[in-house]
Amino acid sequence: MRACPTRAIRVRDGKARLLPELCIDCGSCLSVCPSGAIRATTRSFAEIGEFKYKVAVPSPALFGQFPLALSPTHISGGLRRLGFDAVWNFAVELALVNRAIAEHVEKWEGPHPLISSYCPVIVRLVQVLYPDMLDQLVRVQPPRELAGRELKRKYSEELGIGRDEIAAVYITPCQAKTISIIEPAELGKSNLDGALGISDVYNDILALARTLEKEATEAFSSSVNCSAEVLRWSTSQAQGLILSRHRYMSVTGLANVMQVFDDVEKGKLRNIEYLECHACWGGCLGGNLTVDNIYVTLSKIHRLLSELPDSDPVLDAEVEGRYAAEDFSLKGRIRPRTTEKHAGGLKERVRRIKAEETFFSALPGLDCGLCGSPSCETFAKDVAEGSARHDECVFFSDERLKQLRKTYLASRKRPPEGRA
Amino acid sequence: MAEELLRKTYQVRGRDFDKAGETATEIKQILKGLDIDAGLIHRAVVIAFEAEMNVVMYASEGTITFVLSDEEIRLEIADKGPGIEDIEMALTEGFSTATDEMREMGFGFGMGLPNIRKNSDEFDIASQVGVGTTVSAVIGLDSSG
Repeated sequence: MRACPTRAIRVRDGKARLLPELCIDCGSCLSVCPSGAIRATTRSFAEIGEFKYKVAVPSPALFGQFPLALSPTHISGGLRRLGFDAVWNFAVELALVNRAIAEHVEKWEGPHPLISSYCPVIVRLVQVLYPDMLDQLVRVQPPRELAGRELKRKYSEELGIGRDEIAAVYITPCQAKTISIIEPAELGKSNLDGALGISDVYNDILALARTLEKEATEAFSSSVNCSAEVLRWSTSQAQGLILSRHRYMSVTGLANVMQVFDDVEKGKLRNIEYLECHACWGGCLGGNLTVDNIYVTLSKIHRLLSELPDSDPVLDAEVEGRYAAEDFSLKGRIRPRTTEKHAGGLKERVRRIKAEETFFSALPGLDCGLCGSPSCETFAKDVAEGSARHDECVFFSDERLKQLRKTYLASRKRPPEGRA
Repeated sequence: MAEELLRKTYQVRGRDFDKAGETATEIKQILKGLDIDAGLIHRAVVIAFEAEMNVVMYASEGTITFVLSDEEIRLEIADKGPGIEDIEMALTEGFSTATDEMREMGFGFGMGLPNIRKNSDEFDIASQVGVGTTVSAVIGLDSSG
């Protein structure tokens, strides 16, 4: 409850409840919940089986998760063996998005800074807590969406089947992207049909890829060409190279991003042109559905990068051709996610916040959480609004303490008398 | 007759760039908590922030008084500082007496006072060289965002 950055969780009667309008899908709660009450949302492989043609769209974060003996080609081979008909190499989409973002940055007149929009938690964060900054989110589609669009176009043409018979499944480093596929922030429909967590498919891919290691790999050599671009996108500096001539800043970790956003809100950082933001510390490699330790992964990525050419003329030619012809802009508006408006006129609302301030000054300020609200400040607000009672605080009610003992200690063994 | 609902006074320390902007943020939180129209909040925050920055950049100390009545938001900023020699110049867009250091921090575009005036329905400024400056701004609650 206390891990939630937007204070969206309350605990009442021993059960955790979510205030959905405040949730930004960051998964901080998931990482820390001791009772496993919170789980990630991903689709099951069975549901995807209904489609005629299944294409895996692996997040760049996938390739660094495995032992270096397994090349990206092997890993993609493993995905194919898992049941996918094809594995999409979205090196081209990543390069296209980078160019589109660079163009945006060059043409943008303000307000600055522009903010990256492909991390869905960052988008939700702005919607919920920083709605004044919505216009600063770069209006370029995330690469995974472009990949979904392009693969459906291509395979539908090549195989003569309908686009809706093709499943584009994202192999995701986090549950937030899964949610963004099921419920896009712009309230349209995603080009992707679902997601499988990297941790869901890791063991299977590892086993399957190892068998491939021993076999000849000519069959798979042309299926995946993992470019330097793809690997860089998994780190926290996806736009770093292409925007090196601009005033560029990269921030990772939700608490750090919020601190930077607070500064932007105040009017600081106006001389920064572009903020690359990731809610997960270290970028997507730190996502909560990745498997390997982020530092180990980064070290592998660096090794892989050293073996790849910096640029690929075939790739560059394709990017050049598609950049001129396609539209990468975000469709649909991203609206603020405002919380419920409070009832009553202005006088009533002022009376309420004064009551909140008075009550807050009577609280111990320990943020113990026993009342079920994450902090004394939030509890004071909840009481003033009527969603909590003042005697839910143990400092005001012995009865409350007795009740909590019953709820939390009933199932536990009593400690022996006289010992700590 | 407007009924005063809320009054808060904040102290601002000159040259305290670390804390600069905190008062504007507090005022924003209060207005947000009161469900005031987002456009009005934006105007109030711009005024509060620019005025606070002027105190931090040029004065030794200042006071920001925020008053909410049932008709308007009123902000009064009074500082002890060098004062303004030529108020007309100071109100011109692009004119700034900021130092190079301040510009590197991202301030001193010369839009402070013009922005305050632009965002208020009533604006007043008075100054005495060597003593200090007072700025007052009013936003009508029924005016547009």
